[in-house]
Amino acid sequence: MQFKLRSLFSLLLMAVAAYAIISAQHWSFKAALFPLAIAIPLFVLAGTQLILELFGGQEITSGPTVELEFSSDVDPAVARKRVAAILAWIAGFILLVFLVGFPIAVPVFIFSFLSLQSRVGWRLSFALTAIAWAIFYFLFQWLLNVQFEAGAIQSWIGL
Amino acid sequence: MFDALIDGLVLVLQWKAFSLMMIGMGLGFIVGLLPGIGGAATLAMMLPFIFKMSPAEAFAFLLGMHAVAATTGDITSILFGVPGEAISAATVVDGYPMAKNGEAGRALGAALMSSLVGALIGALVLALAIPIVRPLVLSFGSPELLMLAVMGIACITSLSGLGARSQIRGFAMGLLGLLLSTIGQERQSGSLRFDMGMMYLWDGLDLVPVLVGIFAIPEIIDLAVRGTAIAGEKQPGNLQAGVMEGIKDTFRHFWLVVRCSAIGVFIGILPGAGGGVAQWVAYAHAVQSAKDTKDRERFGKGDIRGVLGPGAANNSKEGGELIPTVAFGVPGGGAMGILLGGFLIMGLTPGPDMLTKHLPITFSMVWTLVIANIITVVLCLAVLNHLAKVTYIRGGLIIPFVLFLVFVGSYTANGQVADLVVTFIFGSLGYLMVLFGWPRPPFVLGFVLGKLVETYLFISVTRYGFSWLTHPMVLVLIFLIGLVIAYPFIQERRSKNRENMGAV
Repeated sequence: MQFKLRSLFSLLLMAVAAYAIISAQHWSFKAALFPLAIAIPLFVLAGTQLILELFGGQEITSGPTVELEFSSDVDPAVARKRVAAILAWIAGFILLVFLVGFPIAVPVFIFSFLSLQSRVGWRLSFALTAIAWAIFYFLFQWLLNVQFEAGAIQSWIGL
Repeated sequence: MFDALIDGLVLVLQWKAFSLMMIGMGLGFIVGLLPGIGGAATLAMMLPFIFKMSPAEAFAFLLGMHAVAATTGDITSILFGVPGEAISAATVVDGYPMAKNGEAGRALGAALMSSLVGALIGALVLALAIPIVRPLVLSFGSPELLMLAVMGIACITSLSGLGARSQIRGFAMGLLGLLLSTIGQERQSGSLRFDMGMMYLWDGLDLVPVLVGIFAIPEIIDLAVRGTAIAGEKQPGNLQAGVMEGIKDTFRHFWLVVRCSAIGVFIGILPGAGGGVAQWVAYAHAVQSAKDTKDRERFGKGDIRGVLGPGAANNSKEGGELIPTVAFGVPGGGAMGILLGGFLIMGLTPGPDMLTKHLPITFSMVWTLVIANIITVVLCLAVLNHLAKVTYIRGGLIIPFVLFLVFVGSYTANGQVADLVVTFIFGSLGYLMVLFGWPRPPFVLGFVLGKLVETYLFISVTRYGFSWLTHPMVLVLIFLIGLVIAYPFIQERRSKNRENMGAV
């Protein structure tokens, strides 16, 4: 038996299916029918996949898959660091939007990312941030009239 | 009939209608490029502006915008791996790898030319089919539509790879998509399902944050990990030559483009299915038309046929969707439902009147589709050279812009910060799926079709019990689904036999 990291994904799917099956027990027949009809085979398929991964040996030929393949020419340790960094930037951007709203978060995020992460000179960072802000303002706010909520900080201080 | 056809053309070419069509096309061009903001949402935003227009002007404006958004959505899919429109997601699968291989120009040329061919076929079918399509649409009830949706999922699942394990992963992802589509209030009983006490989930998960997250975030992560431009270290070469090559590819694989256009028209005609389904079924058809396993292996890694199929289907389905909308007042898709609002604003009633009294207006729609697509493709071809250069800008400069567009696009779904969290969660899920070899396309199609499948199942069981399973058309579709599932295994066996014969 060989437990691989990818087996965790099968386990995750089984957990999701199990949660759906248990939740559906509390609903009316009409509401429960379709989720049950989906979750039960999902549980079985994910379980089968897990068993095959643990006891079925190496997957000899998976054949062609119509999917993205991640680059493999970067050192795994460096790759892991870069994945963590970009996920942190994305999470930071969402947090910033929550705190101060899009109109402030967009220029702050773009300038910070360009100057700190991409190590672009401050002049170019400033120019690109101005372009991004112009796109944001003229396209989304002015032309498409998208309404952006104020951030939590503005709400707290009553702006 | 011929007079009405000419009258329709004259209506569109009048300076005011033509100018409004150009304005609509300009808006559609921008909206198509932006991830998340759908053509349907923009149609809805523009409805208030048509009150003072004549019907021909209003439809030139609205349809011009809608037709272009479907075409330019492919550009973002190819250049950044982010679907510009929900209906452009399938183009990512082969279009983006082509951009990474330094073939962005070729992919863009192929996407645009196949879109044009698809749009022309869609418009032609619309013009020819209006008098004869009624019996076809009326012969499809809920059981048949249910089986058609299942066939769509089976088609895309069969692309998960050869061998049992790949098929298991494909089906599991299709089921996960279907399961997540059940989040929120159940339509028949009103029960809340999987809402976890959050009001945000009462309406279910919106397609835009899910789709944008699951496709865009893994590509952005990959770009950040590589630390290079989208096209890596590859030299740009002659981009214009690449664009011309893409145009030639459309004619090299002309019958594939025609078949995928036919798929788009057919799915467009069926109420409710729409472009989200048409692109994937067309993609599946393109993959399954591969000669053997070796030929098939090129898909997903930058095969031009994977760009041509969805490109053609995306645009041909516009003509198909207009058929039931105009002829019966039954919208073929979400955007057509909004267009139906345009009919009502104009004081027009879809149905027999549109095929008799208002036939010139109906034909003006056909002409709008034709003219708008021709102008768009010609204009795009002129600037493609510059667009493709974007793939040679280093990733560090592109990433913050793409992230900004991705998250603003997602936010437009409901105008809540929770949309961004959903994008992030599904982005992370998409990353894990790619990392561990679980295919994303079946998940997306399952998610897109989930609500429809449940509704059709409910109506079928309520109306017919289980006897709907014996309907002749249902039996035919079940047989076809069996064939679709078995096809990868048959293809694998054939390939092995051929290899054995070669070895002997």
